[in-house]
Amino acid sequence: MERIDVLLEPVRGLLLEIGAFMPRLAVALGLLLVGWLMARAFRLGVVKALRALNFHVLTERAGVDGFLQQGGTEKDTTDLFGWIAYALVILASLIVASNSLGLTQVTDLLGKVVFFLPRLLVALMVVIFGSYFARFIGGAVRGYCKRVAISDGDLLGRLAQYGIMSFVVLLAIDHLDIGGGLIQQTFLILLAGVVFAGALALGLGGRERAAQLIERWFPPEKPDNERSR
Amino acid sequence: MKTDIAIGATLHEAENLSNPQWYKDAVIYELHIKAYADANGDGIGDFQGLTARLDHVQALGVNTIWLLPFYPSPLRDDGYDVADYEDVHPNYGTLDDFRGFLAEAHRRGLRVITELVVNHTSDQHPWFQAARRSPKGSPERDFYVWTDDPSLYSGTRIIFTDTEKSNWTWDEVAGQHFWHRFFSHQPDLNFDNPAVIDAVLKTMEFWLEMGVDGFRLDAIPYLIERDGTSNENLRETHGVIKQIRKRIEAKYPGRLLLAEANMWPEDVREYFGDDDECHMAYHFPLMPRMYMAIAQEDRHPVVEILAQTPEIPTHCQWAIFLRNHDELTLEMVTSKERDYLYKMYASDKRARINLGIRRRLAPLLENDRSRIELMNSLLLSMPGTPVLYYGDEIGMGDNIFLGDRDGVRTPMQWTSDRNGGFSRADPQRLYLPPIQDPIYGFEAVNVEAQGRETSSLLNWMRRMLAVRSTSAAFGRGRFTMLHPGNRKVLAYVREYEDDVILCVANVSRTAQPVELELRGWKGRVPVEMAGRNAFPTISELPYLMMLPAYGFFWFRLSVDAEPPAWHVESQPQEDLPTLVLFDGWNSFFRSKVVPWRMSLAEKTRQQFEQNLLPKFMQRQRWFGAKSETLTRAALVDQAMLDVDGKPWLLALVDAQCAGTSTRYFVPMTLAFEDHDEERARSLVALAVTKVRQQAEVGVIADAMGDEAFCKALVAAMGAGRSLRSDGGSLRFNAGKGFTDLVGNPPAEATPLRRLTNSSNSISLLGDRLFLKAYRRLQPGINPELEMGRFLTDAVAFPHSVPVVGSVEWIGADGQTWTLALLQAQCTNQGDAWTATVDQLARLLEASGPGDADPDEVIAATAEHLQVLARRVAELHIALARRTGDAAFDPEPATAADIAGWAESVQHDCKQTLTLLSQRKTSWPDGMATTVDRLIEAGPALLARIGQMAATVPAHLKTRLHGDLHLGQVLVCRDDFMLIDFEGEPQRSFDERRRKHSALRDVAGLLRSFDYARHTALHQTTRHANELAHLAALARRWEQRVRGAFLHAYRETVVAGGLYADAAGVAATQPLLDLFELEKALYELRYEIDNRPDWVGVPLAGIAALAGITN
Repeated sequence: MERIDVLLEPVRGLLLEIGAFMPRLAVALGLLLVGWLMARAFRLGVVKALRALNFHVLTERAGVDGFLQQGGTEKDTTDLFGWIAYALVILASLIVASNSLGLTQVTDLLGKVVFFLPRLLVALMVVIFGSYFARFIGGAVRGYCKRVAISDGDLLGRLAQYGIMSFVVLLAIDHLDIGGGLIQQTFLILLAGVVFAGALALGLGGRERAAQLIERWFPPEKPDNERSR
Repeated sequence: MKTDIAIGATLHEAENLSNPQWYKDAVIYELHIKAYADANGDGIGDFQGLTARLDHVQALGVNTIWLLPFYPSPLRDDGYDVADYEDVHPNYGTLDDFRGFLAEAHRRGLRVITELVVNHTSDQHPWFQAARRSPKGSPERDFYVWTDDPSLYSGTRIIFTDTEKSNWTWDEVAGQHFWHRFFSHQPDLNFDNPAVIDAVLKTMEFWLEMGVDGFRLDAIPYLIERDGTSNENLRETHGVIKQIRKRIEAKYPGRLLLAEANMWPEDVREYFGDDDECHMAYHFPLMPRMYMAIAQEDRHPVVEILAQTPEIPTHCQWAIFLRNHDELTLEMVTSKERDYLYKMYASDKRARINLGIRRRLAPLLENDRSRIELMNSLLLSMPGTPVLYYGDEIGMGDNIFLGDRDGVRTPMQWTSDRNGGFSRADPQRLYLPPIQDPIYGFEAVNVEAQGRETSSLLNWMRRMLAVRSTSAAFGRGRFTMLHPGNRKVLAYVREYEDDVILCVANVSRTAQPVELELRGWKGRVPVEMAGRNAFPTISELPYLMMLPAYGFFWFRLSVDAEPPAWHVESQPQEDLPTLVLFDGWNSFFRSKVVPWRMSLAEKTRQQFEQNLLPKFMQRQRWFGAKSETLTRAALVDQAMLDVDGKPWLLALVDAQCAGTSTRYFVPMTLAFEDHDEERARSLVALAVTKVRQQAEVGVIADAMGDEAFCKALVAAMGAGRSLRSDGGSLRFNAGKGFTDLVGNPPAEATPLRRLTNSSNSISLLGDRLFLKAYRRLQPGINPELEMGRFLTDAVAFPHSVPVVGSVEWIGADGQTWTLALLQAQCTNQGDAWTATVDQLARLLEASGPGDADPDEVIAATAEHLQVLARRVAELHIALARRTGDAAFDPEPATAADIAGWAESVQHDCKQTLTLLSQRKTSWPDGMATTVDRLIEAGPALLARIGQMAATVPAHLKTRLHGDLHLGQVLVCRDDFMLIDFEGEPQRSFDERRRKHSALRDVAGLLRSFDYARHTALHQTTRHANELAHLAALARRWEQRVRGAFLHAYRETVVAGGLYADAAGVAATQPLLDLFELEKALYELRYEIDNRPDWVGVPLAGIAALAGITN
């Protein structure tokens, strides 16, 4: 009998533990359910608020929506923000739930993910505004070149736009803290390479072309007697 | 006889008093009694002859006769040597003859002014005979001016230098020299003697008492003499004139004094005094300068003399003339100018006399009709009252081989008979031989022949005088000279109250262009007065005009006339504000801009909706509520059509005014000069606003004028595109015939031409496509689209234009709105309305007394309109065909239907009678009687309407045109195309789509014939006295046309099986009467509200249908 008791003790213990765990699990599940509902509501709220603020127009003009849609999705950046907001709430509820279950390692892991999301949001904002700004500058350069009759305005505008865009991307990546050093060095190497290649191209292979371009952009002043003719 | 004369005189007196400035509206006809018509066969004209010829004077369109002296006289100066002031020369008749003439002239509304030759008398005058025989210093001797010293007044010029050496002549009987400014047999009266003034006033009262309307005061500057002066225009002379005027004003108000003072305008100005001397005076220097202008082909002489002409008192008026009984005097020109004029107009020295030219108008201008017309047009439009000289209205010639100025005083040429119809006397007995040369002789130039010839000078003069009589501005208007760059063009404006007349004349022998600065009258429509044709509206830019050699135009600058329908405004709107955009079309939409621009978008849209778009819409002909202020034009829904990077905004706009909202379709285009300069410029005239976006400038404009848009619309129809809008969707549809018409790929459809009408915009693409945008929208399918599809696709009716495409907007509630329609373009010769009215107007114009019987012309018109009747019948047969489409399949008209139609007309009738009663006081006298009788006959009319419907046999209800009149029919190669199946615009789509009796279309056309009759009559009638004749002819035309039309219609519908037999269709006559009455009632309500001048037309129609009048 005692042996049975001994044998049943772990089961009892297990059952007791299960008995003690089940309410916590129920609470955790409850928390998750509430979190899921809140996440959906939050996502809806964020998307609505952003659309009311014409955030979708901004991202579309910045070219970010187009970039996303080239990747095969039909969603736009506003939806992405909504999804991040959703994920944020879901993750928060998971943290609370895992905490309530005492799953500290899970909680830590989730905590790291949660803390990454705001940085992702900020990085996205940097890309959106940076991209809009880059396009704006590109347009301004094109407009200016057209007014002052520089014929390669489109090229210069695009150069300005992509130049700014490169820095914006670096800034965003830097903000995300993903291999920042590696990317910085890579960028510097690439930049140096481009400059070097450009110098070689202009100095050796494309000397005449470069001269033509320079003459076209900055035509030499005519002598006075010619001017007066 | 005497009673008649007294009554006539009294009536005339009242007329003079009611219009004391009648002389400002006068056109004076100057004539010699002796030269006009001889009734007693003695070879000299007389009053009885003149009286018998007053028909001619009246028909000419003048309203005042000026008689040259007819007093007893030895006739040594053509009657200006008067021997008795209070009698008639026996050659011309008796005082009773004169009274009879005066009464007859007054009865015809003609005023009469006579000569008052009081500066001098004949030396045969009893006053002079008494004076020469009376002792020096006696009262009798003192009637004239005598001297013993002929060196007195030595500073006075001699007027008749060819015949007189001195102004003094020795009289053997008196033993003294007597004073005479004219011939030596014309002693001057002594106006320093009060007894002379009394005697002259007594003479004037003698004639005024008889009823004479005024006097021409001959040689008025020479009344008083003072030594050491020129004896002209003396202050004392003005004193005498003031006395004469005062006496006339006191006893005979409304009578006229016309001064003959051959002086410069600034000197003549004195003869008006302060409105207390003469009412009128001749403007002598103007006349030679008019001749000078066309000789030099430069307006300068006329412009210069008019600039030197001083202002005259308010109640005074210049008298102007081209020729008169004297020589064309050249005293008022410089010697150089005189030499030039002699060279140009009197190279034969026999034509010269004194300081002038003794020729008539036609020989002066080498019988050149265009120059004669030009000179007359100047005469009739220059500031002043024109004076025409007898015979110049037919272009009579002269005889420079006769002595003195007799060459321009030859007998009037009435017919080609003996003596030119002037006298039955033997030719050798005539006072002067008539003109008999081959060019100007009475056989070639006479009243009878020219009266019968529509294009004769006489008929041209009649027309011009009739045109002139339509505006008081010619006689009373302010004169403003325009100074266009082309100096060969004389242009001026006459303005009186709201009436503005623009006169333009080319004084050169070659065609001339001219640009006139008319911006002061911007927005007015020039209506050419002779043809009553509207020209394009005056804008800010110089008004370009072409004038043929010696051509001229008179335009009324009308505020209410419509510009020609073909005219498309291509002038940019001035002062268009600039709207600043920041993101193209998105700048108007809060939801389409970046977050920090949302508030700016709201403001931009507000500015566009409350300021710019309303102003644009109110300028458009298609905008309905022109009289109301459009407070807002709200964009309620819009779609963007984007083709090749050109985005167009297809907007539905709610126009909000006076608490009501009406929906319009406003497609707009946005074009920047930097990108598309040519397109942007072509759209400026249609601009809603100028725009600027950063450094780029451009316009937002009506897209219907944008060729690229119209092509994109057609392409979208072909592709069956669908566009999502904010509140629904836009659907572009192509019909069965689309590919056949447009081609695949679409054929080149250029250029774009725009047409506008009252409610839509039409763009013609190339010569095949007709794109119509509906502006004022109604929910539901537009009947024109529905009918067009049915006639094109279901029954292939060949006499309507095929409909091949459409654009529709489907709202969120599923409601369809038709926005645009694509049809085939039909090559045509204009609409049947214009063709019919023109044809009838030509018939009326050519219907002079002696012209060929017009029945042949009427028969030809009737035959042509029978073709139209067949086409209408064929339309009705096609619409009665069963196709399984419930919207079109015919249904029997039940008794209840017919009763309902009658009830509806009764309702209309009550409504119209109420409207007539409310406006009872606003009708002119002639119309008021008809209105009263119609109102009185109201109950009988209502009963008659009930009867009309009671006897109608079995009938069909079908779809019908719904608004058929001559304007909805195109003439295409002697056939007809029926167009515009939109129905009556005032009715809702549901009402328009309802099936009804096809006879309503027939009734519409019959009413249209009635309107065509009145319009043509209105266009052609110049004189009240020709109205009766023309009206009778026009009525005959209408009766024939109606009869022929109905006959052909009935024949065709019977043949097409719509009716069993002719009796069946004839039995529907009461129903046709009912619909004609319905249409006339509708027209009457429309005219009361919109064109009160035209109320008489439907009113007469209703009165006739109601049996009140024939």
